[in-house]
Amino acid sequence: MVTKTEETQLNRLESQVEHGGGGVWEYLCLVRKLKVRRSDKVLKHGLSILNDPKKRSSLGPDEWTLYEQVAVAAMDCQCLDVAKDCINVLHKRFPDSKRVGRLEAMLFEAKGSWEEAEKAYASLLEDNSLDPVIHKRRVALAKAQGNMLMAVECLNKYLNIFMADYDAWRELAEIYISLQMYKQAAFCYEELVLSQPTVPLYHLAYADVLYTLGGLENLQTARKYYSSTIDLTGGKNNRALFGICLCTSAIAQLTKGRNKEDKDSPDLSSLAAAALEKVYKQGASDKLPILTLALKNLRVSS
Amino acid sequence: MMGGGELTYELSQNAYIKLDLHALKHRTTAVNGLLLGRANGDDVLEIAESVPLFHSHLSLLPPLEISLILIEEYCATKGLGVVGYFHANETFDDSELGNVAKNIGDHISRYFPQAVILLLNNNKLDALPKGKDRGPVMHLYTKDAYKSWKFVGSDGGSHLTIKEPAANTVLLDYISSEKWHGLVDFEDHLEDVTKDWLNPELFK
Repeated sequence: MVTKTEETQLNRLESQVEHGGGGVWEYLCLVRKLKVRRSDKVLKHGLSILNDPKKRSSLGPDEWTLYEQVAVAAMDCQCLDVAKDCINVLHKRFPDSKRVGRLEAMLFEAKGSWEEAEKAYASLLEDNSLDPVIHKRRVALAKAQGNMLMAVECLNKYLNIFMADYDAWRELAEIYISLQMYKQAAFCYEELVLSQPTVPLYHLAYADVLYTLGGLENLQTARKYYSSTIDLTGGKNNRALFGICLCTSAIAQLTKGRNKEDKDSPDLSSLAAAALEKVYKQGASDKLPILTLALKNLRVSS
Repeated sequence: MMGGGELTYELSQNAYIKLDLHALKHRTTAVNGLLLGRANGDDVLEIAESVPLFHSHLSLLPPLEISLILIEEYCATKGLGVVGYFHANETFDDSELGNVAKNIGDHISRYFPQAVILLLNNNKLDALPKGKDRGPVMHLYTKDAYKSWKFVGSDGGSHLTIKEPAANTVLLDYISSEKWHGLVDFEDHLEDVTKDWLNPELFK
């Protein structure tokens, strides 16, 4: 994940490059290092180096890295001719390279030649069944074709090998959510919470999934994870604060008429509501009346 | 009660452009939004406003419920109602109305039976610079007699129109100036409440 400082640095460098202030190579290196997607900028500025023989040769062996970077960016921008040129240069220099083979397969993918791309990835995997990038490309290929179940299958296969890849777990969770397979998504977030217990984002997403699943037990657990999100963020997560109010209201509706088992919740809920009102008062006072009414309705309906 | 077939839908230019810019801002993900408006007489549904909602996890309930609760309170102060739902699919060539969109549409139509769903059509949006199409780059879905969502009319049809005839020209202008950078959706607002989901600054 990219930190705030890194992002500020990146944006500063980007605007410097955009205004012709130099530092193009540093910018491209930073984009690679942070693995961010700024394809249009990479294409534009990367090409400005590649098209200038003097600048290009001053890079030394890094020249080939740049060809690869620009090729991928060009495919992302659907500039397939540029991508093809870059890949050809690389192919000439490294005729037997698997890494270049990967780019060639990606070019099939960018053209929408799904079968040829699939074939190319399959043959690359035969040579090296543990290449994580190719496994990931196959997931992307399935997604591009709208075949979400295939994407799930490929991702599960990948996670069998690379169990500690958190981003892959997150991707799997997101696909399950888009398929409305909430139980499976919850499982992925449990993995993520267990492996990285201090990341509030996972607590929040887990709570959201549990709330969506519904039922008394899930709602009560959801409220706990909204609480831990608030704890981990020092009270600075509005979605979790709203989540507490929603859970409390939904739990009250489910337990209506039964013995009051939910004793602590009114306090928790009014604390969350008060915190939200404070946030709106400071940052969006024009929306405060709407918020107050909405929170009141949530409490009345419970 | 109005007859579903004879109803026409009039989309305001600002509501239309906000939804398009939302999809353009988040090109790699599915996005959604709410349509706000009112029934005008017996045969016109006026979609006066739109609120861009989310660009991730569209099918999770909590953010959606929060947005609906708050936006309905806003509507009550303006004499508007939630009259429909907007959806843009994740991939370019996916032009199907998916289950998530249908479910959210169902929910809205429980409170407003004539509710519509607008689905972004990427091919039309893509062809805008080349053609002189004045119709909206969206497909209209309404509920049929069997309570299932049905695609209404081909090629824009006469059912869905944009109130201002030059809306696509304005949209193209905004696309070339990358106006989507300034667009705020409800997800941005939940992160930082100082960002206003009504986007009052966008068209200034």
